[in-house]
Amino acid sequence: MKSGRTVYANESRFLDERGTASELAPNGENPAKIMEKAVIGRIVDSQFYQYQCFALNEAGIVDRVVNDVHFIGGTYGAAQKPTPFLCLAFKLLQLAPADDVLEVYLGHGGERFKYLRALACFYIRMTRRPADVYRLLEPYLADRRKLRRKTRQGTSLTYMDEFVDDLLTKTRVCATSFRELPRRTDLVDLGELEERESPLGDIDELLEEEDERDQAEEEARQANGDDERSEGEIDGGRDGDGGEDRMDVDRRSRSRSRSPGRRERGETPDRSKS
Amino acid sequence: MSDPTKGGAYGTPAGDTDFRKTWDLEEYAARGKEREAKEREESKARYEAKLAGRKYHIPLTGNESLASARRTALDVSSQVGKTQLVPAGAGQGRRGRGAGFYCEACDLTYKDNKQFVEHMNSPQHLAATGQKMEVERASAGEVRARVEYWWEQRLELEREQAVSLQERLELRREENEREAAEKRRKRREVEERKRAEREAAEKVKTEYGEDVRIEGEHDEDDMMASLGFTGFGTSKNKT
Ligand SMILES: [Zn+2]
Repeated sequence: MKSGRTVYANESRFLDERGTASELAPNGENPAKIMEKAVIGRIVDSQFYQYQCFALNEAGIVDRVVNDVHFIGGTYGAAQKPTPFLCLAFKLLQLAPADDVLEVYLGHGGERFKYLRALACFYIRMTRRPADVYRLLEPYLADRRKLRRKTRQGTSLTYMDEFVDDLLTKTRVCATSFRELPRRTDLVDLGELEERESPLGDIDELLEEEDERDQAEEEARQANGDDERSEGEIDGGRDGDGGEDRMDVDRRSRSRSRSPGRRERGETPDRSKS
Repeated sequence: MSDPTKGGAYGTPAGDTDFRKTWDLEEYAARGKEREAKEREESKARYEAKLAGRKYHIPLTGNESLASARRTALDVSSQVGKTQLVPAGAGQGRRGRGAGFYCEACDLTYKDNKQFVEHMNSPQHLAATGQKMEVERASAGEVRARVEYWWEQRLELEREQAVSLQERLELRREENEREAAEKRRKRREVEERKRAEREAAEKVKTEYGEDVRIEGEHDEDDMMASLGFTGFGTSKNKT
């Protein structure tokens, strides 16, 4: 990962340098080649990218997401215009932000600005090792906030958890193809998902307790009988153990109620993909 | 007083402007030479870089500041639809001020805003404005601070909207009160008038009966008139 004090203001050097070993993403991909060439062409040609993405740094990303990102998506409309979301994802590939910056995007920033979390999740899926992708993204399967999505067909409604679920299960999201993720169970067998490496690692501990707590939560959920969704920017608790704990509770009760068996669980051996 | 051979308007010798002109020309020539040398050097480096299969990047002098992102969109829309005075001889190539988007720093004109923005983002322009093609990275702490900044902005906006809503509600309440007071006043007025009419009618009856003018009758009329009630069939009209 790049660790210099500065970064280039535009993409020319990023695209020019063919990806030396030191500049490969943690998952081994060349960041300049993760997005398709035609898509990159549309991005660097777009007005939003040229006007608003020049000379952005990690903090500038926040400015742009807060002010300009109102939907997710790859390219949209008949002209296949790249979304600001995609343009900023491309900018992130150039910036290669450090893990602690990504943590702010996901956690503190992501609680307040949902599209910041969505962007960080997308970027993590593009660049991080599979085990880290699971570990960093899974907590947000509890994030029920609405997201707008623009495609060639038009605008549609989705949710953060569904977007994250797409990132974990699909190989093409927002005009970008990913290498298929290994199954979670395989990563657990390899021991890659048992260690608590991530600052969001509490999820592992909570997953171990899942079976014991499932029953109680299921009952609680049925007693409530609701599935309220928050439209606000804040969902779940503030960052810290308490918040994650609550989110995890939400995640499980919901994934059971709304789409049982939609996702593989680490504890379930050999559940094949649908 | 003035010496006509010197040609200075106020007796100042014109030689001093002549000197400046010469000096300017010399400087221009020197600068031109310098630029030419630099350009030659650059094109050589560019050529070599191309042979090596790499892109050429302008070397830095070390005095440049770091580039910074625009907080707002480039203000090109302000030029749209405006008539521009174009100096004679302009329009040949990009050099100089012409019709379109003009960059002061580089003395170049671009036909459309897209080309102009591309120029603003170019190493050439940044070099001309003393900026590097590099941006300083932000730390996690700075990113967090930026999140806080925008979050505060959003909360502030919400507070303002709440206040303005409160103000609107308050205004509406006052208006409603005023309207209610006005209605009450009118109702009282009507009641007052009806009462006065009734009383006047009573009085007429008694006056007819006694056929006597009562002292102070006109006082009452005056009082009524002062209140705006006149001609309610008082004895004056009937007699
Ligand atoms: Zn310029």
